[in-house]
Amino acid sequence: MIRIENLEKVYKTEEVETTALNGINLHVKEGEFVSIMGPSGCGKSTLLNVMGLLDKPESGSYKFIDTELLTLNDRERSNFRKRNMGFVFQNFNLIDELTVFENIELPLIYNKIPTAERKKLVNEIIERMNIVNRSGHFPQQLSGGQQQRVAVARALVTKPKLVLADEPTGNLDSSHGNEVMELLCELNETGTTIVMVTHSSHDASFSNRIINLKDGHVISEKINKSRNEELI
Amino acid sequence: MRNLWKNKGFSLINIGGLAIGLASCMILLLYVVYEFGYDKQYKNYKSTYIAYTNMKANGKTFSWAWTPGLLSQELKENVTGVSNSARSSYPISLLIGNGENKLKNKGMFVDPAYLKIFDFDFIDGTSDNILQNINTVILTKSLAKKLFGNHSSINKIVKLDNLEPLKVEAVIDDIPQNSSLTFDYLMPWKLYEKRETWTKKQGWGSNFCLTVVQLQNSNTLAQVNTSIKDLFHRMDKDQENELFLHPLSKWHLYGDFENGKSVGGKISQLKIFLLLAICILLIACVNFMNLSTSRSEKRAKEVGVRKAIGSSRKSLISQFILESTLLSFIGTVVAFILLEISLPYFNNLLNINLIIQYNDWRYWLTLICLILFTGLIAGSYPAFYLSSFEPVKVLKGFSIKAGSAFSVRKVLVVFQFVFASCLIVCTSVIYQQLNYIKNKPLGYNSNGLVQLSAEGNLKNLQKINLLRERLVKAGAVTNVSTLSMSLSNGGNNTSGISWPGKNPNTSVLFNNRAIGYDFVETIGAKMVEGRSISKQFEKDSNSVIFNEAGIKAMGMKNPIGKKIKWDTGENVIVGVMKDFVIDNPFQKVEPMILYSAFKDNVSVILLKLNPSANVTASLSKIDEIVKEINPDYPIDREFVNQSFEQKFENEKLLGTLSNWFGGFAIFISCLGLLGLALFMAEQRKKEISIRKVLGASTGNILTLLNKDFIKLVAIANVIAFPLAYVIINQWLSAFEYRVAISFLPFSLAIVISVLIAILTVSIQSIKVAKANPIDALKYE
Repeated sequence: MIRIENLEKVYKTEEVETTALNGINLHVKEGEFVSIMGPSGCGKSTLLNVMGLLDKPESGSYKFIDTELLTLNDRERSNFRKRNMGFVFQNFNLIDELTVFENIELPLIYNKIPTAERKKLVNEIIERMNIVNRSGHFPQQLSGGQQQRVAVARALVTKPKLVLADEPTGNLDSSHGNEVMELLCELNETGTTIVMVTHSSHDASFSNRIINLKDGHVISEKINKSRNEELI
Repeated sequence: MRNLWKNKGFSLINIGGLAIGLASCMILLLYVVYEFGYDKQYKNYKSTYIAYTNMKANGKTFSWAWTPGLLSQELKENVTGVSNSARSSYPISLLIGNGENKLKNKGMFVDPAYLKIFDFDFIDGTSDNILQNINTVILTKSLAKKLFGNHSSINKIVKLDNLEPLKVEAVIDDIPQNSSLTFDYLMPWKLYEKRETWTKKQGWGSNFCLTVVQLQNSNTLAQVNTSIKDLFHRMDKDQENELFLHPLSKWHLYGDFENGKSVGGKISQLKIFLLLAICILLIACVNFMNLSTSRSEKRAKEVGVRKAIGSSRKSLISQFILESTLLSFIGTVVAFILLEISLPYFNNLLNINLIIQYNDWRYWLTLICLILFTGLIAGSYPAFYLSSFEPVKVLKGFSIKAGSAFSVRKVLVVFQFVFASCLIVCTSVIYQQLNYIKNKPLGYNSNGLVQLSAEGNLKNLQKINLLRERLVKAGAVTNVSTLSMSLSNGGNNTSGISWPGKNPNTSVLFNNRAIGYDFVETIGAKMVEGRSISKQFEKDSNSVIFNEAGIKAMGMKNPIGKKIKWDTGENVIVGVMKDFVIDNPFQKVEPMILYSAFKDNVSVILLKLNPSANVTASLSKIDEIVKEINPDYPIDREFVNQSFEQKFENEKLLGTLSNWFGGFAIFISCLGLLGLALFMAEQRKKEISIRKVLGASTGNILTLLNKDFIKLVAIANVIAFPLAYVIINQWLSAFEYRVAISFLPFSLAIVISVLIAILTVSIQSIKVAKANPIDALKYE
């Protein structure tokens, strides 16, 4: 589904130029769950941001199914993103002023879904995520795990083809972290493609394939057999 | 100090706003001080008074600073408490010349005592034994210079009206601009009596001079006023007018009277300006508070650290106050520069001469108070707010709640916009009213109507006829007539008219004017009935015309041919004229009687320019012919519509000032809004980024950010409208003719304020809305 070729990204400040991505090639198949690992500053978050159309690389090609995404303008990128992608962040990034329900509803509003259908979709996902009795609460009233559930719910409510997760368990204790990982797995099993950046090899073990980055290069790729066997 | 430098942009907005606010405030204060200083240059101003006459007529009381010539002596000799008193004529523009160097300047005829009451600054000569001789004159410095150059003028002879030789007895300094006395030279009252012989024979019913009175003690005013109230009646049983003294210091600002009592005057306009000055300063302060608190998030950490290492709340408060005072000091310095730059423009605009009194200690005192006040007010809220942070909370990942602090800031913004939108409404109504009055039909056609002042040969009716013939023949004008007063000024009136069926107990005041032939045609007015004074009727010396208001006041039906009595003579009504505006375009037209001009009651010659001829050519022809007929006088002519325009000066001034300072107020408010938007955008950066990641477009984000501000502005408008309505209604109520308050100014205020708010906020939020969402989300 995703074909990334020769991606290069350079960060420039007044003094230094940092090469974050240095000729990355990456293919992701539909329905795959890919983890990206590597030390701090290896470019994994940058790669995720480029995949999420939140950042623009200097050169290379990024094909999503058959569409070349790097030639799109801002508006087109924004439109493509909101129709096809969902995001889960390490720090949840929920909006404090909105309730759980409203937070989840937000992407639907930006996708111009009519009110009645919006309500239906949000309620469905809330039920699925087991947070029904929390829908009127504000994010600060929830535990970290619950907040991340809401964030995942928000990422899924538009039924995206691709979910991008940036260290989704980084701010959670292990039991809550596992909960979230299981949630992602379930999701993956229903056919959603997931790309996740993580530090933790435990989390990575939930995925089908693990990609190791260093200094903007892919240095190794590992098929996660146990998980693949499970799949079979 | 380091703090200011670190936040250059912020400091710039902050100091800039404060400087503009302070500069506006200072200019307005200078103007207010200038107006308050009116007539207070004289040593004895506190015990000096102007005698006023109250006259009941037409169902109301008229109050004038016109008195009989006999009054001054009577007051001085027979009223206890009065220490001195003097007569003066009103300033008259007369020709004064040194040889061929002739100028038309304002002169006044005064009693010698006048120079004891007002301590003019004598440059040459003294106030003793002055103006005793009939052929003497006192010049002001600038007139002396115009007439004699740098030579001494003392004991030299100048000629008045090409007629009277006058010896220069003294030269005094120029009269300050903020003085109600306006003259270029003073002449003895005796000369006035010689020139206007009628003044000698006038009794207690004829008011033709100004009487200035000095009391021994200003505390006795009430007593004196009671004792002189019926003085006219005591002197002459037929006189019902009442007399009172009005303080010199209130002459200028409290010039309006109702029912014989002072009801203010220009002071109300001045109060508006004072209010404006204070409000602008407050707005600037509010701005300061807004901008300072909006930065608080960044400074919270500093506060936390300071507190943690043992700084007390008090020392924190004083630190913040000190900082704001420093800022207000810098703002003041910038304001000074702005002030010095803008003062010439402002003076030009108002046609006055304001200067900064650098050597006056009161000025510096006011300034220091202003700096301290501003620093204190502006710094107080941020100081107390910031110093109240609890160190532990602040140091442990601080985030200011969108709660209380923010709502105070919202209140401040609402306050600013209430003011701004009030100003927009008021200013537009002022302009509407001005336009309304200007476009109100005058009752005559002022286009191409030229007024020539009748002097020298032109006082002579034969010469006027000659002028008429020559001008018409030359094709420069179509009609020529005369009037006993300038068409655009007030002037003579009389209550001595009686008619069959008149109630002897009521008094009706008529403006009286002597007109030449063809008057109605020349000014393009209309007759309602009958005919105008005309050459064809030999016996027109007895005929009179009334205006409609006059006929109405008399309650007369079928007036043509009826007889009236005026003083001792009997006159026949031959015509009724449609009402036309002479004096005050803001009030209803008063009753008027017009009669045929004879001998010397011509003060202006009215010329209707030939509409088919070129105006410039016509004017130069007029100048040429007038110069030929009247070679001794400079040509003094004006367009009636131009001199009429001067009547709107007060209202125009108000309009211009509220426009300018309203503009400044709005500009400063915008800076405040910008600050708030800056803060909002900063505070909501994360939220905006999240929304963008979730697919919000730039438009979505802009709407989101603007929505709150528009709400604030809308609330401000809702508060402002009743306020503005009350204020402007109050202002309008002073006019008999006034424009109806429509929706237009209000909708204008909404549109302008919302537009301004959106623009200001968008400048800031568009940057945030366009920013890459990653930047805000990355480092959390």
